[in-house]
Amino acid sequence: MNSRLAKEILLRYRPSTNDASDPEFAEALEQAKRDPELGRWFAQQQAFRNTIRDQFKQLPVPAGLKEEILAGYRPVVIPVWWQQPVFQSLAAAAAIVLLIGVAFFWSQPREERSFAAFQNRVVRNAQRGYVMDITTTNLGEVRQYLATQGAHADYVLPAPLEKLPGDGGAVLRWHNKTVSMVCFDLGNHNDLYLFVANRADLPDAPSASEPHFTQIGKLTVASWSTGDRTYVLAGPGDEQFVRRYLRP
Amino acid sequence: MAHNDNDSRLSAQQDFELLVSRYYSTLYQFAFSLTRNEDDAVDLTQQTFYTWARKGHQLRDASKVKTWLFTTLYHEFLEKRRRQVRFPHHELSEVNQDLPNIAPASVNELDSATVLQSLARLEETFQAPVALFYLEEHSYKEIADILGIPLGTVKSRISRGIAQLQQILTHDPGPQPARRGRPTHE
Repeated sequence: MNSRLAKEILLRYRPSTNDASDPEFAEALEQAKRDPELGRWFAQQQAFRNTIRDQFKQLPVPAGLKEEILAGYRPVVIPVWWQQPVFQSLAAAAAIVLLIGVAFFWSQPREERSFAAFQNRVVRNAQRGYVMDITTTNLGEVRQYLATQGAHADYVLPAPLEKLPGDGGAVLRWHNKTVSMVCFDLGNHNDLYLFVANRADLPDAPSASEPHFTQIGKLTVASWSTGDRTYVLAGPGDEQFVRRYLRP
Repeated sequence: MAHNDNDSRLSAQQDFELLVSRYYSTLYQFAFSLTRNEDDAVDLTQQTFYTWARKGHQLRDASKVKTWLFTTLYHEFLEKRRRQVRFPHHELSEVNQDLPNIAPASVNELDSATVLQSLARLEETFQAPVALFYLEEHSYKEIADILGIPLGTVKSRISRGIAQLQQILTHDPGPQPARRGRPTHE
């Protein structure tokens, strides 16, 4: 390691953290011990760093901020509905209805496999509430996670989507076929949802790469196919808003 | 059963209080280093915790709570800044005032305001990485996650940012903006 590289590394060394466990730092630190000139330079840098760090850590926090935050807290309690007495008393009746329902279900054709049914299912699920398998802003990590789960990870994102921070991702199932879900953070508590499926698993998937738009619940939905993949992108706002994330 | 419901509310409230107690100061400091404005930093910090109250249950890995909070705050900041660029507003209290230059020998006498003002003069891409570096709350990998950029880029930006900060502080700390008043402690 030359002196210049050692300096670049030592410049960002923080002794009060776990930095020293990084081999890169360990090597540069060793070099600073062996090289008196580098050692002196490093000592000066550490003094400078300590001064700046102390000033950062001494930034005054407004009085009452913690209390303000706590006062504005409204807990989101996810109702455990089966624990409610009224539901318990209805359990027996529900069981009967369920039996009838099961009998009816088996007498009916199975859930439609059409593209419209697929699109409807995944987009409505996104609106009803869902749990992501991975929560990260890093779209690369989402792709990597989907790949490790055997889900579609070779999707091609439109350029505007590539620039958005991620929110997370999940692996969904549609008639025993894998569907990848990638969530993008639009800020202001809004998300865009991208679903990627195998084109061959959706008999009447859109054939064109030009998106087709529709409205499902509160979300505007664009769908298109490219190569072996079919894409469904759902987001808030109107067609014009969603379209902004499809064109460079 | 209502008892169970009360218990879960109480538990959620206690978890939230614990989380706020643990992280509100450093989150505020990060927010302030980004905005250099007390009211905006307060808003960002509060908004971050309310986002957690609404969406935090989606996070499965409890060990990533701190990174999640900082990431959320940074996203909120970027979003707010995007809106402000579109609809910029200026306040009289933000008019700059001159500060005397600081000689290299007096680096030890720097105060927080001067350090922050110098941070504001860094290239924009260096500001958040350098602030997270000095707050010493995160590993480099976590900083990369928060900012959504590769690890190598984080390291490079921090090194270059520190060098630039030193240059500014030892040669020309520059003007300092007036800060808007709010009672403070700590």
